[in-house]
Amino acid sequence: MTNPVVRATSYCLFHAADMVLTHGTTLMLERAKHPDSDFLAAVKEALRPFEDVVAYPPNQVYIGNLTPEELAELPQPWYENPVEPKRLGRLGEIFSLDELIAMMKISDSFDLVALEESFAQKMVEKLSSHPLFTEADLAVLGKTASLQAITELLEKNTAVPLEFQGQVVGCVKQAHEFDANLKADIMFENLAAKASGALVLRHLLWNNDLDPSMVDYIIETSEEACGDMNQRGGGNFAKAIGEICGCVNATGSDTRSFCAGPVHGIVNAAGLVKSGIYKNVVVLGGGAVAKLGMNSRDHIKKDVPVLEDVLGAFAVLISADDGVNPIIRTDSIGRHRIGTGSSPQAVVTSLVTDPLGAVGLSITDIDKYSVEMQNPEITVPAGAGDVPLANYKMIGALGVKQGALQRTELDSFVQKHGLKGWAPTQGHIPSGVPYLGFAREALLSGSIKRAMIVGKGSLFLARMTNLFDGVSFILEANPGKQNAGQAAPEKVVTVGITLSGSEHGLEEVLRGAELAQKRHRGIKVVAIGPKCSTTLAMVEANTEEEQHAAMEELLKTGEIDACVTMHYNFPLGVTTIGRVVAPASGKEVLIASTTGMSAGNRTKAMEKNAILGIAVAKALGIDQPQVGILSVDGALTTERSLRELEKEGYTINWAVSSRADGQAIMRGNDVLAGSCDVLVTDSLTGNILVKMLSALTTGGGIETVGYGYGPGVGEGYQRIINIISRASGAPVIAGAIEFAADMAKAKLPQLVDEELAKAKLLEQEAAEAVQKPPAKPVDQEITGVDVLEIESAAEALWKENIYAEAGMGCTGPVILVAPEDLDIAKQKLIELGFIS
Amino acid sequence: MDMENQTRVLELVEKVGKENVVVVLGGAEAEASGLAAETVTTGDPTFAGPLTGVQLELPVYHIFELKDIIPEDIWEDQVSMMEMVLDVDEIIKEVATYRERNGG
Repeated sequence: MTNPVVRATSYCLFHAADMVLTHGTTLMLERAKHPDSDFLAAVKEALRPFEDVVAYPPNQVYIGNLTPEELAELPQPWYENPVEPKRLGRLGEIFSLDELIAMMKISDSFDLVALEESFAQKMVEKLSSHPLFTEADLAVLGKTASLQAITELLEKNTAVPLEFQGQVVGCVKQAHEFDANLKADIMFENLAAKASGALVLRHLLWNNDLDPSMVDYIIETSEEACGDMNQRGGGNFAKAIGEICGCVNATGSDTRSFCAGPVHGIVNAAGLVKSGIYKNVVVLGGGAVAKLGMNSRDHIKKDVPVLEDVLGAFAVLISADDGVNPIIRTDSIGRHRIGTGSSPQAVVTSLVTDPLGAVGLSITDIDKYSVEMQNPEITVPAGAGDVPLANYKMIGALGVKQGALQRTELDSFVQKHGLKGWAPTQGHIPSGVPYLGFAREALLSGSIKRAMIVGKGSLFLARMTNLFDGVSFILEANPGKQNAGQAAPEKVVTVGITLSGSEHGLEEVLRGAELAQKRHRGIKVVAIGPKCSTTLAMVEANTEEEQHAAMEELLKTGEIDACVTMHYNFPLGVTTIGRVVAPASGKEVLIASTTGMSAGNRTKAMEKNAILGIAVAKALGIDQPQVGILSVDGALTTERSLRELEKEGYTINWAVSSRADGQAIMRGNDVLAGSCDVLVTDSLTGNILVKMLSALTTGGGIETVGYGYGPGVGEGYQRIINIISRASGAPVIAGAIEFAADMAKAKLPQLVDEELAKAKLLEQEAAEAVQKPPAKPVDQEITGVDVLEIESAAEALWKENIYAEAGMGCTGPVILVAPEDLDIAKQKLIELGFIS
Repeated sequence: MDMENQTRVLELVEKVGKENVVVVLGGAEAEASGLAAETVTTGDPTFAGPLTGVQLELPVYHIFELKDIIPEDIWEDQVSMMEMVLDVDEIIKEVATYRERNGG
């Protein structure tokens, strides 16, 4: 199952000054009771112009131009200390009232909004360059009504006015003559919620460069209800909003729980994404005109401007785990249960400490809490206090009661884990969600590790229950991101490649090296070869021998972590584990082995090859590789000795042949089908298999598929040198570089020794029967010694005081000696009958 | 105090008589608690609800003033956390002002 992540957020505000007077409930009630009241006139006088709304610091926080932390530092009252008025923010935008009115017209599917001609014309001009408005939108605005027609509708009381700067610029008509749920005021309220919801969704998609068709589902969480007299809350705002935004692949539904609606919506979205039902779910909410000027009576009384003059809207995209964006933890959802009770401590326990306890966290493990983020400048004069502050104190007080904090730490807890409120009092808008955008950024940057989002709702207002409601969730940094963050400071893996020796020329090798560099940012490729034109780092060395010497030196000094080369002789005991792609299935198979010799004895070598193959598989991240033995001479003996290892406690996962007998012995068919992860064979057969499978589609001349002949592995062998052949083409060379880098990252030599130790195959008797002469560099090959006698041949030379190493060249076993010893060694081997 | 609650207080007083009614407030803030206390003593100061001009002169207390008569476990369960959070002294002072003005 995937994890749900918060992939994008958007926050918009809509200046709605005239709507405070026409559709804020406080003012509507006043007008109904006292049409000529001083209060109405006072509110009209105290409304702010658009410029002041934009320059108001809490509004700048809402759209992301200021952080909550910066807001806390600004002098109060904020309405007397404006900041730079920027209508565009990192997280959102502030729209003017005329733009909102235009959007109500654009959002209207039933010809209910009439706009006066000259106003509409001005809006077409104004919006033609705005990125969130389309040609089709402007065409809708082109359908206008005369002021006279609008006036007549208003006089008949079948419409309510749309006013801008005190002038009637249009109206919203009733949708039914008698249906109370379709009357003009209700249509006005619902169209404002739809229009603001649609603009915030358009902003979310545009600001994050998302295609509207990627949205699978929309959950609308405002506090309005759309329906008719037979189904007052029938719905569905979500789908209606998606339609205006071109979300052709989405459906949706409305979720309600008063102010807690948005957090319920996000929890639902997280569940839908986690279950795999949908990949991309948008949770959004448009604004509530009813709440405009809700506390204006108190504001006027205390000489505060009418600060409740904006509609708020938000949209959040919850998507399947991308390894980057913060994760919503679905194992610790807090909920106020029906049986919880309504005392403040019961509520905070159920929403904060219960879900934290469920995953073993304490209240101090959450870096920031987002509660009801109401702007205190609005609520304090209205007698509701500083709402976020009260919430933080409650969380801290509960922490004190539960022993997680000292009483004296209460203030510092609030300071450290709390935020200053900035959201307009639009009910659902301040409820937990305003911080999601900042939380996402802070979790991405690593400045915080966890945030908790809490939404609460006053259900009793609907007179259906006296219960209260609330839900919460934890937002956590994505461990994918954390891992990436930890990997980044690590040293980039440096892989060398020797350029000379290819049958396809140096250019082909260089092309492979450059391909690897281009594909993998985590690898630095160093070219070792004659001077040539390349963007890669270069170490100059002309001949193959010089290149091998340079490679060995660079590996020794640690300047490279691994190297890819060809025609390189490993000491006896070291063999290479190749990696091919099975042509019938595309499955990757390790061939153990492909060059070199892990032991002089054929079946002993095959037994060791199995263990070395398992070690390389583990280095590639295959924890339990399936092992098969190729049906070659010695296969059954090898199987028997491996089964003996099993009896002694070494675990082998046996592969099963695709053939009818289904044994661990692999046939040619199994090679094509890729029936195992590790295919055990002798190195000469393995070498043939890699050549054939890598050049399968090219007629044999050039190897184009797979990862080459693999790293040399053997007991105590500390270098990572991956082998390619003279026929390897650029794709195989790039694959070999990647393979070598993976082996370096996994610390292959260590894994090899661990695996050999587990299988009890480490050579215990290091003491040698024959005293070895002092070691010296050996680069001269003597070929022709039978593979079964190669070790004896080397020992025979030691007895003659000639230093020699047994090795495996590409064409077969070789004895390696120093140049000065070449002639005498050859002569001795002839004398002793090892070669003719 | 909202209209609904004013109506409920008035109805209760009419039904059982004001000598049988004590008002217990749970307001979270001094000013709002004071307004509620004023409403049930000298009448709705906002002139908006049914207690406008109605002097019930009911005995009124904030829950914080009644700690001594509430069983400890219930107090612990229901109120102790908010006692830590709210400005208890300020709230009590404000409510007491109206009760004392009322002679109570």
